[in-house]
Amino acid sequence: MAESIKLAYFMAVKEGASYLGGLLVTDTSGIPLDFRYTEPITPTHLQSILYGKSLEPHLKEEVIQKTLLKELKTPPDLFILSATELAGGWSGDAKCPVLAVQKSQETPLVKVGTTFRAGPRDILLQLAEGAAPLRVMFAASVDAAAQEQAMAKLLEAGYHMDLTEPLERVTVALQSLVVKGS
Amino acid sequence: MFGRVRGAMADAAETLRRAFAGLTVVTVVPEPFHVGSRRGKLLAVNPRPGLDLLAAMGRGTRLFHDGVPCQVLPPFEAKLQAEAGWAHWGTEAEVVRMTPLEPGRAARITVPPLPRQARTLGRVEPPACPGTRRIADPLVPPGTRRLDPRLTEVNALAGLEAILGLPIPIRAEDIQRLPKGLWMRYSLQLVRGTGENVRNLEVLGLFRIPRKGVSDLRHDPRQSRILIRLEASSVRAPREPFILARRKDDGALLSCFVEGS
Repeated sequence: MAESIKLAYFMAVKEGASYLGGLLVTDTSGIPLDFRYTEPITPTHLQSILYGKSLEPHLKEEVIQKTLLKELKTPPDLFILSATELAGGWSGDAKCPVLAVQKSQETPLVKVGTTFRAGPRDILLQLAEGAAPLRVMFAASVDAAAQEQAMAKLLEAGYHMDLTEPLERVTVALQSLVVKGS
Repeated sequence: MFGRVRGAMADAAETLRRAFAGLTVVTVVPEPFHVGSRRGKLLAVNPRPGLDLLAAMGRGTRLFHDGVPCQVLPPFEAKLQAEAGWAHWGTEAEVVRMTPLEPGRAARITVPPLPRQARTLGRVEPPACPGTRRIADPLVPPGTRRLDPRLTEVNALAGLEAILGLPIPIRAEDIQRLPKGLWMRYSLQLVRGTGENVRNLEVLGLFRIPRKGVSDLRHDPRQSRILIRLEASSVRAPREPFILARRKDDGALLSCFVEGS
């Protein structure tokens, strides 16, 4: 069962005046199954003026994310992005639960697998014995039932891998690709 | 008394006699009455040039170099003035006889016509006559241009090889959670695979990694994990349990794939 779970990690970065994004699909061990990235997008000065503050969200959600999701042959089970992106009001149209995972400083929960709902979209998940629980934040589009299903998948994957680490890997990969391109 | 009156009367009579003694009769021939026709002065337009030529006038100001100028009075000349009227004034009188006016003599006055056109004289051309030029080219109406603000779609590129080259952390599985029989089988396979005595081996962890395509493997004892680098062939390779162990006597690392459950 665990082998069938696919986690998609999305990250969009800004390098200079260009934006580019990457989507890493891993199995529950964190081993890459697929990785797609976009070419750097450099908005013109006029586009920057016309779009204003909505330029970056539009680029990340409407341009980069949609382009990368279209490239995937099979939809992932979970769409994971950074907590910053999710807190900014993610409005993408991923067909799977969209969430963010973050290491917390909370006291450990009773036992591994225990969850604590800190808010309607904020849940703490104990993955390892004695360690701080993982903070899971869901997008507004994910209802409670979908959250429960997603938590079960996260618990299964978290037994084998560090759920927060692949996002760092995507960032490093994108930065190395930018350096190669320049 | 009467004598004095008589003398006074005589003096008066003498005076009157003398006054009217030389009375002459003068016949004054009246001049014919002429009605003179006087031609009126023609109406004339005195044109003045509209623009007076600019003429520079030099006015000199004599400075008071030679002193204060003063008006020299002409010398007084003595002139003898006499009034002869008083000498001629006498007691004579003239009788003027006026002839009566004669009717029927009159002159016709013709009124000259007004000039139909006023002549302009002394017309002075302006010193400069600026020519006017017409700009034939009308202003071109501005064209509207449309700029599509949409951001161009980007291409997604496959970069799996790029990310496989990065170290991938693999967390060790909790051996205590494995069934005891399964772990015993794994231990036996480890001894067979390494050829070492089980007492001389320290198991560092059980990891599930691709059966092939692992190009690099490093152990991270602080976090009980291994860092592996993969090749493209690892993507489709099956994940197999992999045991990493350390030899106790020299600290060398030993590893082997064990049979999956």
